[in-house]
Amino acid sequence: MTDLDPVIHAQGRLRITAALATLDRDESIAFPRLQDLLGMTAGNLSTHLRKLEDAGYVDVTKTFRGRTPVTYLALTKAGRRAFEDYTDTLRTFLGGMP
Amino acid sequence: MTLEPPNSPEDELDAAAALELVTAQQRDLERRMVEGLPLILGAWAIAWLVGFTMLWLIDGLSPAFRMPLPLAVVAFVVLMAGALIVSVVVGVRMGRGIRAGAASAWTGAVYGLTWPLGFAAIVVLGNALIINGMPPELSSIYYPTASTTFVGVMYVIAGGIWQQKPSVALGVVMVAVACIAPFFGYPAHYLFFAIVGGGVLVLATIYSAVWIRRGRRGAASWNPR
Repeated sequence: MTDLDPVIHAQGRLRITAALATLDRDESIAFPRLQDLLGMTAGNLSTHLRKLEDAGYVDVTKTFRGRTPVTYLALTKAGRRAFEDYTDTLRTFLGGMP
Repeated sequence: MTLEPPNSPEDELDAAAALELVTAQQRDLERRMVEGLPLILGAWAIAWLVGFTMLWLIDGLSPAFRMPLPLAVVAFVVLMAGALIVSVVVGVRMGRGIRAGAASAWTGAVYGLTWPLGFAAIVVLGNALIINGMPPELSSIYYPTASTTFVGVMYVIAGGIWQQKPSVALGVVMVAVACIAPFFGYPAHYLFFAIVGGGVLVLATIYSAVWIRRGRRGAASWNPR
């Protein structure tokens, strides 16, 4: 249990990463929808997302829908792999199958 | 509950809590993404129960009672169209904020457009059979049976694409309903569609509502709301 990823291993970021991991690999989710699904404040979600983005785990795409700016979020390949490694480590540590 | 940083003395508890958080979060999200499903299934359940009962009442209780044909057909069409509108509106709402990639968009578009393609083929084939001498009693058997078979097959395919076992189960039952109904003959087959087909949809509505509620309750301890 020495190699738990500190970027993911925090309640807020773990919830965000777990949520994003449920999306298909080529799907992304708009910021307000993710905020609604997680029940987080915009500020809290932004802070955690910035850390995940800085680590290269989350891809943030800013685009326009009509004239409204929309921010879409998705796990990067590295982010998905880091999350899988993280849960594998937990399961191994707990004595289950990875 | 706050998670300890790694390497803390409480690592073991910590790992279990973290894994539980991941599981609860994903289970909650999976359900919240489809929380409109009972509404869609419920709309179809009502359409089937009432719609097919109306068609049955045209001749089902004669000579004691006869539902006027235009009234029964209009009620049936309005109920089915209403369920379709509910499905589209709720479906769009459930998918809000989700941007599909090229592969998911392609799958969704092909699957979505297969619905009108299939129904168009059923209608054209039915007309071709009528032109070739199919009597009205037989066409009243053909249309609901062909349509329900197609709907069932589409549910099975949806379950395969999006890996939803309940959708496969519902599809198989619908195909079975479609295949058994004609053996009752006109007009009893309409009553079979209403009670068994509609009944299965009522059960699917209840099942989906309970599934969503149960999963969400499990995640409630993690959710600040």
